[in-house]
Amino acid sequence: MLSAAWTIATKDLKLLLRDPAAAFFTLVFPLGVAILFGSIFGGRGEQRQDLALAVWLGERTDAAERMARALESAKGLAVSRAESRAAGEEAVRKGRATALVVIPEGFGRAADLLFFRGAMRLEAVVDPARGAEAGLITGKLNELAFKQIASGITDPARSRALLAEARGQLATARFSDPLMGPTLGRLFDALDAVNAQTERAGAADGDVKGAGGGFSFQPVEVTVTELERRGSAGPRSGFELSFPQGVVWGLMGCAMGFAVSIASERAAGTLVRLTVAPLRRGTILLGKAMACFMACAIVQALLLTMGVLVFGVGVSSWPLMLAAVVCSSLAFVGVATLLAGLSPTEQGAGGMARAILIVLAMIGGGSVPMMFLPPWMQTASSISPFKWALLSFEGATFREYSAADMALPCGVLLAFGIGGWLVGVRGLTRQRAF
Amino acid sequence: MLRLENLRKAFGSTVAVDGLSLTVRRGEVFGLLGPNGAGKSTTMAMAVGLLAPDSGRVLIGAGAGASPSDPSVRLGLGLAPQSLALYDELSGEENVTFFARLQGLSGRDLRGRVAAALELVGLGPRKGDRAKGYSGGMKRRLNLAAALVHDPPLLLLDEPTAGVDPQSRVGILDLVQSVAARGTTVVYTTHYMEEAQRLCERVAIMDLGKIIAIGTIEELIDAHGGGSVLTVRRNGGPATADERVTTTDPVRELTRVMTGPDAATIRGVTLDRPDLESVFLTLTGRRLRD
Ligand SMILES: Nc1ncnc2c1ncn2[C@@H]1O[C@H](COP(=O)(O)OP(=O)(O)OP(=O)(O)O)[C@@H](O)[C@H]1O
Ligand SMILES: [Mg+2]
Repeated sequence: MLSAAWTIATKDLKLLLRDPAAAFFTLVFPLGVAILFGSIFGGRGEQRQDLALAVWLGERTDAAERMARALESAKGLAVSRAESRAAGEEAVRKGRATALVVIPEGFGRAADLLFFRGAMRLEAVVDPARGAEAGLITGKLNELAFKQIASGITDPARSRALLAEARGQLATARFSDPLMGPTLGRLFDALDAVNAQTERAGAADGDVKGAGGGFSFQPVEVTVTELERRGSAGPRSGFELSFPQGVVWGLMGCAMGFAVSIASERAAGTLVRLTVAPLRRGTILLGKAMACFMACAIVQALLLTMGVLVFGVGVSSWPLMLAAVVCSSLAFVGVATLLAGLSPTEQGAGGMARAILIVLAMIGGGSVPMMFLPPWMQTASSISPFKWALLSFEGATFREYSAADMALPCGVLLAFGIGGWLVGVRGLTRQRAF
Repeated sequence: MLRLENLRKAFGSTVAVDGLSLTVRRGEVFGLLGPNGAGKSTTMAMAVGLLAPDSGRVLIGAGAGASPSDPSVRLGLGLAPQSLALYDELSGEENVTFFARLQGLSGRDLRGRVAAALELVGLGPRKGDRAKGYSGGMKRRLNLAAALVHDPPLLLLDEPTAGVDPQSRVGILDLVQSVAARGTTVVYTTHYMEEAQRLCERVAIMDLGKIIAIGTIEELIDAHGGGSVLTVRRNGGPATADERVTTTDPVRELTRVMTGPDAATIRGVTLDRPDLESVFLTLTGRRLRD
């Protein structure tokens, strides 16, 4: 049974390769799509837009709140508050935020004691895949935090409270340099005078460019924490978006070819020979299914090889990639069988398959990458097996899915495979295809 | 070897086969004759299990026989369908190899039989070319090679000479004879009566889904052929003046003419024996078929 099915499958693949149009649309066209779209998307898939940050306040102090507000009002940042550190990290993982800014407990206190206890601490949690952004974020945080300190100093009321606190500490502090205490005492006096003057001028607007230039210390210490392994920030290049799309078109070509395969055999008369041969009906279908499966797998392998070797597509997990390829291939065996069951004639099956597959491929992310589709479309696209194939491929590349993450798309793909197969076989039986 | 019992098959309101029964004996070449649309191909399709009969049954093999719906029964079958059943994009050799594999052949046995089948149909020199480049006659012969590559004990040939030139036709007839000489049972469908006359021991003539005559060719001619026609041509007379006598006893009639008073004026005598064609036309009429 298996060897007969294999004979049929290899014959079908041979026929596919010998039909220039079919071979082109199944193998070359998807690669072309991947390369073309990848070049159009440019170096990065996303459009240049505000850097999305999540911020989580580890304490409810004025200083922390001010820092958060400063982030929110800063240009070039789109900030959302995270409810917990875990929620923030999840947002980074899912690519909704480029980084999570953690304003840790003790931040307010540090702000107040900054003359003696060193820097205020901030933490930026970033995805390891997006190292480039980490530097940018660190710089931004330093700038903002420094402004906070400066505004504290130039805001007379806060400044006076801060100085009072500092004086209190000065009284109990021990300095290695005996001159340090008196020097600081004099500095504080001077600052008090500045405060009085500022108050009179009524110029407490917080625009403090260059303010605090006299303090020569690093006030903010930003630590960058990388999220563990499975950060799914986003594609590192346009090709990481376009190669999954190539997979969509490749799968479409395969499903199209094998949806009409039985009808073609009928038209050519060869189905008669297959049926008279000493095979069970199931063996013929199995042979067709194997051919479709192999074609799907070959297209994906081809795209993957080109993507990885030439276009810098990064695979996060080879076992998961294998699972994705196998599940996608099985799904499209089911889809092709279902389409084959719709009509007994070549034109009928071909026409219907084309119409249905093109719509499903479009909404499934074949033309516009899923992440650029409007949210309702992203939801609606769940009915398209292409979406799940694409997602599983992306999951094993830049989305860096864990095995648990991969279970959903793979499960849906298997459901498409099994469901399509069952419905398709019923349709074929009703057609008296055999 | 093959027994059809009371088969009936209708397509909508068209009754293609209507209560047909016949038995094909082991080792014989059996002719199934009939005008277009008589139901020959439909009968073949039911015989090999391609079509399920509306009623009646098909039994293949020795003894009680078994239904062709069982794959192991079909192992002993070879069918050359009336409409060519080939992969255009595969070469002749690849086509035959593919179908031979489906019959379970492999390895050296496979290669040997494929080569032999291609030689047998005279495609050896062109076996590497794609089938789409073959002429009509070559495709017919390839269609035949694919049917007999596994040397089946029961071979069904549905109009294997349709659309071929006289050379190919003679080749195909020789081939069927040599296959039959090896003991293969052959069911041969045609509307060329001279082919049936040359190949077949027994024939069935069918029309409108029914068998209207069955037997050896001699039996059919005796029963339905009518008399022989004796034509006498005399010296000086035009062809239109030929005397024609229809008789069931040509020898006596000939003796009468040759010993008659005008025997000296006879220029020539021809005797036309009735043949299958006259049987066929007598039985099925001269009306055109759809
Ligand atoms: N699949 C089908 N659907 C509808 N009608 C059919 C079908 N197959 C055969 N018929 C009808 O059944 C009748 C017998 O057809 P069949 O092909 O068996 O004749 P045949 O004797 O092989 O004729 P020919 O010598 O032209 O090949 C015809 O009237 C034909 O129109
Ligand atoms: Mg016919």
